[in-house]
Amino acid sequence: MSRPQLSALLVSLAGVAVSIYLTLLHYAGVVPGCPLTGPINCEAVLSSSYAVIGGTAVPTSAAGIIWFGVSALLWIRPPGRAHLVWSGIGLATVLYLVFIEIVRLGVICLWCTAAHVLVVVILLIALASRPATNPVRE
Amino acid sequence: MPVAVVAGIAVLIAAFWVIHWYTTPLPPKPLSQDTTTVVVSMMTGLPASEFDAVGQGTANNLIKPVSGTKLLGSTGKPEVFYLGAEYCPFCAAERWPLIIALSRFGTFTGLQTTTSSSTDVYPNTMTFTFRKAQYTSQYIDFRAVETTDRDQNPLQTPSTSEQKLVSQYNTAGSIPFVDFANQYVFTGATYSPDTITGMSWQAVAGTLQQPDSTQAKAIIGSANLITAAVCKITGDQPATVCASATIQNLEKTLK
Repeated sequence: MSRPQLSALLVSLAGVAVSIYLTLLHYAGVVPGCPLTGPINCEAVLSSSYAVIGGTAVPTSAAGIIWFGVSALLWIRPPGRAHLVWSGIGLATVLYLVFIEIVRLGVICLWCTAAHVLVVVILLIALASRPATNPVRE
Repeated sequence: MPVAVVAGIAVLIAAFWVIHWYTTPLPPKPLSQDTTTVVVSMMTGLPASEFDAVGQGTANNLIKPVSGTKLLGSTGKPEVFYLGAEYCPFCAAERWPLIIALSRFGTFTGLQTTTSSSTDVYPNTMTFTFRKAQYTSQYIDFRAVETTDRDQNPLQTPSTSEQKLVSQYNTAGSIPFVDFANQYVFTGATYSPDTITGMSWQAVAGTLQQPDSTQAKAIIGSANLITAAVCKITGDQPATVCASATIQNLEKTLK
C-alpha cells in the first residue's frame, strides 16, 4: 500500500469515527441551549431541521458513516478515477452542508467541520495521487 | 491543482458569509405597549379546551426532578426562577410557553416585545423580555434574570444564591435555565425556535388559537409541561388548572 493510500485510508477511518460520534450524539437527544460561544454552536446545528436527511429521522451524520466507510474501502485499492469521483461527491455534499451552516443557520458546528475537513483532505490526496493521463504523442 | 481547490473552497466559504450577512433581515421594531397587551391577551386567554386538545403536543420534555431545599420567593411562596438572555434564540422560544403557563397561575404586567440576536442561530426570533416584567400570583413567586440584551450587552445579574442554584443544577451553564422551587429544573428549549422564526408576534399568537397548528403543538405542549411542573410545586393548586386530566397525566411523566 502506497503512502497516499495509507493516509487516505486512515483519514477515512477518522471520518467514520467522527460521524459515528455525531450520530450517537443525535440519538442521545442533544439539548438545545445557548452556550455563550458566539458563532460556534454544535447543539444549534445538530438540533436544527437540517440535521436530518430530508423527510426522515435519519441524521445527516449517518450518511457520513456511509461516505467515509465507502471511502475507506476504495482506498484499499490503488487510486483511480473512482476515488476522484467519490471525493467530488463528498466535496459537493460538504459545500452544501457548509452553505446550510453559514447562510441558513449562521453558526458553525466544530465536530461537523472536522468531518468536512477530512473530506477535503481525502479529495486533496485523490487529486495528488491521481493516475497520470496518457501523454499525447507528437 | 490541490492549491486551487483549497483556494476555491476558501472563496466559497467567504461568499457564504457575505450571503449570510446580506440575507439576514433587520430586526423588526418592538410592538407598542397597546399592541403588546393585545398579543399577550391572545396568548393568555386561551380556553382550557385548547390545552386539553394539545396535551404534550410536540414538546420535548426536558424537565428533570432535583432535590434541594425548597426555593421560596420574596413573598414566601414556591418560586419559579428563570435565567436567560435577550440575545438567546432558545430563550426567545421558551418565553412563549413560560408566559402562557405562568399566566394560568397569576398575571404578568410590563412584558415588552423583543427579538433574539440578529447574528446568532435562528436570528431575530420574535419573543418577549422579562427585563421589566412584574408577576403576581397567589400560588407562586416568579423571578426572572435576563443577563444581556439582544446585542449581548450586560443587563441583569443573578444574586449570589441564584448563581449557586445555576452552578448546582446547570453544570453546562446553558440558557434558558428554569428552576421550579428546587424540585424540578430544565435547561434549553422544549421546542425548536425555527417553529416560529420569521413569524410576527401577532402571527404566532394567532396560530395558538388553532390546536392543530405546528406552533400550537410546540408552544402549548411546552406550556402544558411547565404547567404540570408548577402544579407539582403548588400542591395542585389551583384545581381549575391542575385537576385537568391533561395536567394530571403530564405530572405523572415528571415523576
